[in-house]
Amino acid sequence: MNFFFDVVLNAFIRMLQLFWFGKRRISNSLSIYVKTNEGNTLCVDLDPKWDIKNVKEVVAPRLGILPEDLKVILAGKELHNSTIIEECDLGQQSILHVVRTQPGRNRTRKLNLPQDTIEELASENSDVNESGSKPMNETLTDLPLEEAEESVTTISEQEQEENRAHFYVYCSAPCKSVQPGKLRVRCERCSSGAVTVDRDPQCWPDVLLPQRITVHCENDFCLPPLSVTHTEEIESQILYAKFYFKCANHTSLGETDESVPLYLIKPNLRKVPCLACTDIRDTVLVFPCEAGHVTCLDCFCDYCTARLHDRHFEFDTVHGYYTLPCPTGCPDSYILEVHHFHLLNAHQYEQYQRFGTEEYVLKAGGLLCPQPDCGMGIIPQSPDTDTTDEECRKIQCIGGCGYVFCRRCLQGFHVDDCETQHPVLSSSQNPATGTYAVDPLKAKDAKWDEASKKTIKVSTKPCPKCRTPTERDGGCMHIVCTRAGCGFQWCWVCQTQWTRDCMGNHWFG
Amino acid sequence: MTALPRRIIKETQRLMQEPVPGISAVPDDTNARYFHVIVTGPEDSPFEGGLFKLELFLPEDYPMSAPKVRFITKIYHPNIDRLGRICLDILKDKWSPALQIRTVLLSIQALLSAPNPDDPLANDVAELWKVNESEAIRNAKEWTRRFAMDN
Ligand SMILES: [Zn+2]
Ligand SMILES: [Zn+2]
Ligand SMILES: [Zn+2]
Ligand SMILES: [Zn+2]
Ligand SMILES: [Zn+2]
Ligand SMILES: [Zn+2]
Ligand SMILES: [Zn+2]
Ligand SMILES: [Zn+2]
Repeated sequence: MNFFFDVVLNAFIRMLQLFWFGKRRISNSLSIYVKTNEGNTLCVDLDPKWDIKNVKEVVAPRLGILPEDLKVILAGKELHNSTIIEECDLGQQSILHVVRTQPGRNRTRKLNLPQDTIEELASENSDVNESGSKPMNETLTDLPLEEAEESVTTISEQEQEENRAHFYVYCSAPCKSVQPGKLRVRCERCSSGAVTVDRDPQCWPDVLLPQRITVHCENDFCLPPLSVTHTEEIESQILYAKFYFKCANHTSLGETDESVPLYLIKPNLRKVPCLACTDIRDTVLVFPCEAGHVTCLDCFCDYCTARLHDRHFEFDTVHGYYTLPCPTGCPDSYILEVHHFHLLNAHQYEQYQRFGTEEYVLKAGGLLCPQPDCGMGIIPQSPDTDTTDEECRKIQCIGGCGYVFCRRCLQGFHVDDCETQHPVLSSSQNPATGTYAVDPLKAKDAKWDEASKKTIKVSTKPCPKCRTPTERDGGCMHIVCTRAGCGFQWCWVCQTQWTRDCMGNHWFG
Repeated sequence: MTALPRRIIKETQRLMQEPVPGISAVPDDTNARYFHVIVTGPEDSPFEGGLFKLELFLPEDYPMSAPKVRFITKIYHPNIDRLGRICLDILKDKWSPALQIRTVLLSIQALLSAPNPDDPLANDVAELWKVNESEAIRNAKEWTRRFAMDN
């Protein structure tokens, strides 16, 4: 009897295979991997127009089981039979997880599960074909940055469609650019993707912080650590979701191919005009300030470029990131995911990283080699800069260009007192800054009157304290060094500290 | 010349359609980033009755950096220097790309109503304004009559 049944089943499966083989001449096929909870991986070609039921019918024969005994999991959701492949955010070589749902197997697994889970599983098994839902990418609505308030408002399908979450990531390889992203989830304990979440994430903290959302893990080998106490045993039954992102632009390079989510970049669902250019653009950056100020991505880049240009990035006091706040100056508005600065071009991002490192060295009591094209960070052994001791003033750029310089005036090392009053920088001493030497006649040329003739002359001089090139484009002679952490107030004319005399004599030149 | 950003076009249109009371700002025929501005002296200020010409220029990276503004008409004011340059925080470090030409002009108008001699100014006007306010106001009225009326 049993033998007869097996024969019939095998014949049936073979028929199915033939049938599907015929149907498998697919126009634009999607090549994906199907992973079973027993650790097998199959490569399957799918038609994007198929539904999940079709997928089960293709996969089941290759596993030697019936389609009804399978469930298909993607991104924390069991997919319903009616779900169409192209509705899912699957790409070439994406992974779908399939799990057998034979009653026998489930019963053995259920033995040490809490009571309510057994009931859940039982009800699932009673009508396995009707279980599951739409994929996460279809149901997830735009995530707020902060903890979501409990909103009970039911929204229509249309609203849901319009409010659908879109993710952006920085793809470090191979795209090396900002790209649309896909949300994925795995079991925190065993890293298996064959998990279903107990609820959808409602806000970014749900996605970014650990242990916010529990999962049901289908991996047979997801074993709890040996537990001693009863509480430990109960705790070990609770499994958590670990969310991660993949770049949607390139073919998946496997399960470890992840990308950093740029959660401040959002689709402009509320049609907010950019605070800088006032255009209403499709994709925007929402600053993490209370007002949620919005700029378009172009203006965000302009903002970063302008701030980068005068080294006006800041260290956030809590985490120490070298970053920027909301451009309107809102409190507590630092961008804490610095990968957002990848919106800048590669050269600018490199500059951002270099400046960040340099600022860090300066903050740590170090200094930067003043030689042009060097800028090596140097942390001297003795911390005090006020020393008159010759040996303490003498700094060598070790590991960089080897330049020996005076710590106090940042000029080539000298035995006598520093010439801080009028550091006329001859071009032989410092080629990069030599051209900015103060020439009173030139300074007159740069006055506003000339500027109003449509060309505003910009000239640069180094900050007398930290040597950061500073631009002056009209306005008064009182210069505040824009470099975060320096803030030295100096006089453009005297190139020394700003004094009352400067104010009286040549405040405006 | 590169195309004029939409923001500048929009701001210009709005300045034309809903002008700020007491202020006219008209872009130059040859350079849309350069504005000819006329501010009327606010009532109950020493500048009342005067018409003050200013020039306003939107730099290349506006609105990431502030507009450049200068008084062309001579004015006796503690926060405005001999060459017409204005000491106003939103034109310098307090500038934000969310501010507009309109906001700048309103702030300048407000500065005429409420001169601030305590701002880091040590020129003679500010000094006199602090030491002898009535004389300073007399001077301001006199300058307004001489330079900002019937010209
Ligand atoms: Zn990519
Ligand atoms: Zn697991
Ligand atoms: Zn914009
Ligand atoms: Zn803000
Ligand atoms: Zn060096
Ligand atoms: Zn020295
Ligand atoms: Zn400095
Ligand atoms: Zn000086």
